[in-house]
Amino acid sequence: MRISYEWLKSMVDVPDDPHELVEQLTRTGTEVEAVEKVGANLEHVVTAQVVSKVPHPNSDHMWLCQVSVGDKNVDAEGNPVPLQIVCGAQNFNEGDHIVCAMIGAVLPGDFKIKKSKLRGIESCGMNCSERELGLGSNHDGIMILPPDAPVGMDFTEYLGTSDTVIDCEITPNRPDCLSMTGFATEVAAILDEDTHVELPSVATESGPNAADLVDVAIEDPELCSRYTARVVRNVKIGPSPEWLARRVAAAGGRSINNVVDVTNYVMYLTGQPLHAFDLGALSERDGKRHIVVRAAHEGEKLTTLDGQERVLTPDMCVITDDGATPVALAGVMGGLDSEITEGTTDVLLESANFSAGHTSRTSRNLDLMSEASIRYERHVDGTNCANVAEIAAALFEQCCGAEVCPGIVDVYPGEADDAPTVIQLRTARVRSLAGAPITNSFIASRLGRLGCEVRRNDVEHYEVVAPSNRPDLTREVDLIEEVVRLWGEGDIAPTIPAARNHAGGLTLEQRRTRKVGACLRSCGLSETSTYCFAAPDDLARLGIPETGRGVPVKIIRPLVAEQSEMRRDLLPGLLRSVAYNLDHGVANVALYEIGRVFFGHAHRSQPDEPSYVCGVMAGKRADDAWNQRYAEYDFYDAKGVVEELLDALRVTKVRFKVADPEQYPWLQPGRAAEVFASGGELVGWVGNVHPRALKAMDVDVPVVAFELSMATLLRLAHNELPYQDVPTLPGVDVDLAIVVDESVTCETLMQRITSAGGKLLSDVRLFDVYRDPVRVGEGKKSMAFSLTYRAADRTLTSEEVEKAHAKLVTKVCKSTGGEVRG
Amino acid sequence: MSMSDDLKSIEAQVAEGVAAAESMEALEALRVSVLGKKGQLTAIMRSMGKLSPEERPAMGKLANTVRANVEAALKARKETLSAELMERKMAADACDVTLPGRRLTPGTQHLISQIREEIEDIFCGLGYTVEDGPYVETTWYNFTALNAPEDHPSRSAKDTFYVVDNAPGSVAHAEENHVQGESDILLRTQTSGVQVHVMENKKPPIYMICPGTVFRPDTADANHLPQFTQVEGLVVDEGITFGDFKGTMDYFLREVFGKDRATRYRPHFFPFTEPSCEVDVSCGVCHGEGCRFCKGTGWLEILGAGMVDPNVFQYCGIDPEKYTGFAFGIGVERVAALRYDLPDLRMLMTGDMRFLSQF
Repeated sequence: MRISYEWLKSMVDVPDDPHELVEQLTRTGTEVEAVEKVGANLEHVVTAQVVSKVPHPNSDHMWLCQVSVGDKNVDAEGNPVPLQIVCGAQNFNEGDHIVCAMIGAVLPGDFKIKKSKLRGIESCGMNCSERELGLGSNHDGIMILPPDAPVGMDFTEYLGTSDTVIDCEITPNRPDCLSMTGFATEVAAILDEDTHVELPSVATESGPNAADLVDVAIEDPELCSRYTARVVRNVKIGPSPEWLARRVAAAGGRSINNVVDVTNYVMYLTGQPLHAFDLGALSERDGKRHIVVRAAHEGEKLTTLDGQERVLTPDMCVITDDGATPVALAGVMGGLDSEITEGTTDVLLESANFSAGHTSRTSRNLDLMSEASIRYERHVDGTNCANVAEIAAALFEQCCGAEVCPGIVDVYPGEADDAPTVIQLRTARVRSLAGAPITNSFIASRLGRLGCEVRRNDVEHYEVVAPSNRPDLTREVDLIEEVVRLWGEGDIAPTIPAARNHAGGLTLEQRRTRKVGACLRSCGLSETSTYCFAAPDDLARLGIPETGRGVPVKIIRPLVAEQSEMRRDLLPGLLRSVAYNLDHGVANVALYEIGRVFFGHAHRSQPDEPSYVCGVMAGKRADDAWNQRYAEYDFYDAKGVVEELLDALRVTKVRFKVADPEQYPWLQPGRAAEVFASGGELVGWVGNVHPRALKAMDVDVPVVAFELSMATLLRLAHNELPYQDVPTLPGVDVDLAIVVDESVTCETLMQRITSAGGKLLSDVRLFDVYRDPVRVGEGKKSMAFSLTYRAADRTLTSEEVEKAHAKLVTKVCKSTGGEVRG
Repeated sequence: MSMSDDLKSIEAQVAEGVAAAESMEALEALRVSVLGKKGQLTAIMRSMGKLSPEERPAMGKLANTVRANVEAALKARKETLSAELMERKMAADACDVTLPGRRLTPGTQHLISQIREEIEDIFCGLGYTVEDGPYVETTWYNFTALNAPEDHPSRSAKDTFYVVDNAPGSVAHAEENHVQGESDILLRTQTSGVQVHVMENKKPPIYMICPGTVFRPDTADANHLPQFTQVEGLVVDEGITFGDFKGTMDYFLREVFGKDRATRYRPHFFPFTEPSCEVDVSCGVCHGEGCRFCKGTGWLEILGAGMVDPNVFQYCGIDPEKYTGFAFGIGVERVAALRYDLPDLRMLMTGDMRFLSQF
């Protein structure tokens, strides 16, 4: 809402400096977005006088003028020099005082005045019309000033009307502040001042009664709780008087003509949207116009004032001409066919109240917002329709030469609903909710300033009747809010609640989730954040099957097609981040994300939202340094991270099994494993991403990755595992290199060694894998283990160790088909 | 020469030799020549038996003294030499301390989760719990139960991502009239729905925060992301006042932004709270004077909050006469942007290692 300070000043005593008021508005909850000086943008616009005027040599309708701008244009010695201006207007003569926009001026509408050539003759400025100056709608010719107007004065200074506009953001609960009268009341309450608002009324009524010219029927009171119609005749359509145009412009409107300007002015004044129909454009039956307010029919069409054809639905409300043709979209915008034109003589003025909900939905469905819809969807004061119509009629009379027909047609089915609300207010409750010593007298007086009627039942109990333009005041707490904000939220002393009988802190799961992140970071992965959105083909591109991932959650109106669904896997998003890094010259990428995926149900509204932790690694941990070399990430780096993570969470009985390429087609066959723990629970997978999948994501380097279920991880995690005695006696280390077929896995070999080693074997560590077709043999590998033999109760003798080791070697070779490498 | 002369001569010889010994090897050779199996002193000690019993005690004493002196001299010289040796070794071992160290290159935590955890820790310190709920919510939990009227502008498909409802009308409190592009199911636009879930399931006192991802249909640009992070908080207890809310916010904001920052409370409107306000912190760049960073106001808008509206309590089955409370919401990206003067929020979502590793 744009508040003209000059207009506001006429209604309430405000400080001379608008910024003082701005501070008070901010303090009490009206957000000020901007403070503009009106006229400030009319720089380089000056009063001037036409010195000479001769026909343009190359044009039959333009004039070549010498225009004096006094000392605003001087030669090198400082003597005033007139400007040469080419002008197309016909309404002026030599000697006329006019308004000149000099080079450098920027007129409303961002119209920049530059030196130009018109039909070959240089023009150094422009003679301005009222419309070009933003002062009114008159564009019939240039603006002629009285003969006593000074020459060469800044036009803003000449007008003496410099005004300040405070642009306020009005919260949706305060429709009253979308009017000058309501805003003045608010300001009066803030400043503890009186308002003085004078509203015009009709001087003379003449001609037939409105009721004899118009009747009104409301089919559905839910759509329209009140409809009033007044009729004025013989209006003279023309430009608005300057004061009217100026106020409409200050409020953010555009001056169109006197009739339309009056309706807009009164709307800005009172908050009641008005609509003026050209009475002549409405069909007549039995000597009357018949206004029928009804729900639109499905598919019904109406061309609105903006020239757009709108297709309507039954949720929308229309004003119809005798029930048939829609002539206006109720509460939103009038129809093109019945708009006020230059030929309009008689006007039907609508001052009505339409449903907030229907207006809001209509506006949203048609993507059509107007000053009217903004007000209706926030609620308009239904009790005020007729009073507002009176103000508008009076202004039609004053500004448009209208003859006002006696009476008003007023259909008001919602009258009972508009009855004032009586609210019980406990002053002690005000203080206890605020936590501040707000006095009863402050409460009573400020509520009174806001237009409430405050009755005192006893010292602590008030009965408050809220004003009809404050739909937000229906409960005690609504009044408390008013009191608190006027008292000043900033003035309430800060305290901290005691929180008796309450304990907080992170849950075990939350603490474990943090641990997951900490562990992955220690492994060199950085946390990232990707979108929960996905492209519909994300899974297909990577070859990730949909099995077990439900149906996609689809966004009805996505911003972009690539984000039209909710993701069902974290990997695509992370691969996008890998591609982003590679594209930007970053070769070493190690990222993880803990995030949700969305598995929708075909017959249920809300999806499952399990969390996963996913990691991707490409390149190497760091670039080689003078004292460190790094290998490119491979499968075992990813696996190592998973192992560290499972260890950190103290997950037990971890096993890695070859992932079936049929089930994991997005992973490279032979370099992919399923991760199991706690005796067969699937936790997730780890592996090289399939080169085909990488290509689909524009990644041209190998990527190793893992994805684990957070729920499973957190469930299988342990806070502690049993303590194991630290060995006190020395062990004996023996190395064993054993040559086996490639098909014998490390896991098998380790198991065989462990079980063959019996009690004395305390530790087995693989330290080398060696392949050589000549020395080891084709299809074979040598695996070297370091074994530690130890007894808890004695130092082992070499004989004991030798015996145990010999037994182990025999058993392992036998069960694996292996041979000891000499 | 008498034995005593011999002994004295050995002592003098050793003293000379020790002083001349420049290496451990030379010193060892000297030791062997005197104290070794075939050493001079050893030989004398062995021949002690040949002395008469009268001579023996005095000579024995002298021999022992000489041996002690010889040993002490050798030891002293050895210590000196080994200290010198160590010095030489260390001198040879000196390194260029400006060469880079051997790094473990751990990863970093995402800026947004760092701030989120920081906020969690502050409130855990105040005794709050940390709660979460579904991202794909119903209009009831995201709007209605939060007292946002059915036609509240924030419900429009311009401000909310609605998703296809695969079972229309099946959720609790399904709505009847839907504007085009809307349904009962949406991506939560705020984490406030979590507060409703908690209030439905838990009796007061409630002291909680709910940090989490939220969604709004803003095209990603330097200042907007369609997916961002909010931390909302809720307190429900007996006797909670607006002053309690202010005290909590003052504490929290100073923990996050610094002890020297001032706060400002501006009344505002939110359907969920009444009285409501927006909270500003003083600009950290100009300290309230007004600068480019704070757009000349001296203040940075940081959170929206207020006293829980009694309607919300009623929707959740809590007696608004007995209990009062406050709620607040803060944008984590906003905190990050203010703290680091980030030029473009989209960097938070690209996974750019050069960006992530800075925090």
